[in-house]
Amino acid sequence: MRPKTRRRLVAAAASIAALVALVFLLFPLYAVLVASFETNSQLFGASTYSFFPSVWTLSNYSTVLSQQGGHVVSSLIIAVGTTVLTLAIAVPAAHALARYRFRVTALLVGSLLIAQILPSIVIANSMFLVYHRLHLLNSYTGLIIADASYAVPFGILVLRAFMLGLPGDVIAAARVDGASEWQAFARVVLPMSRSAIITVALFAFLNGWGDFIFALTLLNGNTFEPVTLSIYTYLGEFSQNWGQAMALAVFAVLPAAMLLIAAQRYIAAGLTVGSVKG
Amino acid sequence: MSLMTGPRKNVTQRAAGPVIAPRHRSRLRRAVKWAFLVPAGAYVLFAFAIPIIYNIVLSFEQTSPATISHFTAPFAGLSNYTTTLKDPIADSAIVRTFSFTVLSLLLQFLIGFSLALLFNLRFPLRRFARSLILVPWLLPFLVTGTIFKFLFQLQAGAVNQILIDLHIIHQPIGYLLSPGWAYVTLLITNVWLGVPFFTVLLYSALQDVPAELLEAARIDGAGPWQRLTRVTLPIIRPVIEVVFVLGFVFTVKVFDIVIGLTQGGPANSTQLIATWAYNLTFQNFEFGQGAALNTVLLLIALVAAPLYIWLNRETLRGEYL
Repeated sequence: MRPKTRRRLVAAAASIAALVALVFLLFPLYAVLVASFETNSQLFGASTYSFFPSVWTLSNYSTVLSQQGGHVVSSLIIAVGTTVLTLAIAVPAAHALARYRFRVTALLVGSLLIAQILPSIVIANSMFLVYHRLHLLNSYTGLIIADASYAVPFGILVLRAFMLGLPGDVIAAARVDGASEWQAFARVVLPMSRSAIITVALFAFLNGWGDFIFALTLLNGNTFEPVTLSIYTYLGEFSQNWGQAMALAVFAVLPAAMLLIAAQRYIAAGLTVGSVKG
Repeated sequence: MSLMTGPRKNVTQRAAGPVIAPRHRSRLRRAVKWAFLVPAGAYVLFAFAIPIIYNIVLSFEQTSPATISHFTAPFAGLSNYTTTLKDPIADSAIVRTFSFTVLSLLLQFLIGFSLALLFNLRFPLRRFARSLILVPWLLPFLVTGTIFKFLFQLQAGAVNQILIDLHIIHQPIGYLLSPGWAYVTLLITNVWLGVPFFTVLLYSALQDVPAELLEAARIDGAGPWQRLTRVTLPIIRPVIEVVFVLGFVFTVKVFDIVIGLTQGGPANSTQLIATWAYNLTFQNFEFGQGAALNTVLLLIALVAAPLYIWLNRETLRGEYL
């Protein structure tokens, strides 16, 4: 009887501790959501902060939707473009590095590890000048190429680790059957790597969606801007317009959150299988 | 699956099939092998190699707004480095980047490891709590910085309100208006952001500690503290090393949350190397000086490279199919 009551006490204490931790981790998001339904006089004019306002308004959302809807679309184009480019580069490369023996494999994988370390601001600094010459500033193409720099090295490394675990005899059998290297890749390796590809795609999407450094340095805001950049410029121009800024922040968080919730299964699958090599 | 049953039948067929000249075939095969790598090679060259090399070249050039349109500018020797590093703002940004990184990693590890130990216990809310802990990860970093700017504002700020309600302070504090507090706020923001990463990795490491080993230690009379320090910690040490190296790599390049929270202010009291390099290049248009400071940041980040590669040594070797 005694160990049982002790176990119950530990469980109760742990539940309370976990609850406290969650309050710390989630309160900022609660505050954003609440603030997005408040007027500016409630948020900034007031002398006290109210945890649950008595008056709620949708005006921030209607303003933001009419003024900032285009930026949400821009963010989507950037995120989807980053995902497509990352997969187009990383999937074939991972396949080659997993399946074939190159004399330079260790060197290539090593340079990808180093590429993951490089600070984005170092790249942005000189990329600005290169883009200036190539007329890639203020273009989706240029920004997407820059944004893929987060996910390309990660993608190749994760996919390669996953593909090293695939059963080699299945691919060999396809080759024996007369499939070309390309067909073996497209019809056998690709379908079997689906979960890892989804993991990398999600990562690339979130990176493209959340990027700020490259948008700040490679765009001047006159053509298009993603949501992250518009939150920043918005607070710069209307420095205390918190209600609308927070409604915009909700937009910035929402698609990424929905995507992650919807695809959580694939992330778990991709990561577990990826870490257990065949 | 249909593909898997097909090939077996044809093994004999292939042996009797027509044979292409072996040399021609192996050359073709090699070309196909490399073709898979071409996009990645071109990308690494364009997005990593060229910008890094060009950044180093720039750091030795006498740049001005007029030279932006040209790829080259007059040679400047070390003058960009001496000018930049003599500047007290840059010096304090370098020192601050170090202290910020060390403090962030320590706090993230302590909190992350405590939470990992917590989730390793059995309690009703465990799974629910563990999935929610990932949420701070979802946010774009700039948004995180902006949210914390809102929470820590002087007038009607949530943090001031909570502390006043709890009678910890009596007057609201201007967290983002005083240099010391602004640094602390930045640190809190970064810790909040990084704790989920530490928790998730350390939790999965704890899951791999064999229960029999802990049970054996308990039977031998080891208390909870001894079991933690003598059994658990030595076993998960490789993961701790990985977490610290990755954490270092993430933290030295922190940029977005500083811009979102303080923009490096007040009075440059929260400038890190990355944000000050940004200022030099994109606010002052001193591309050469910005590049010099970026090279310093690059060297600091690359300190982690040998360690990172060593930790991934299995990946480098890689088994072939």
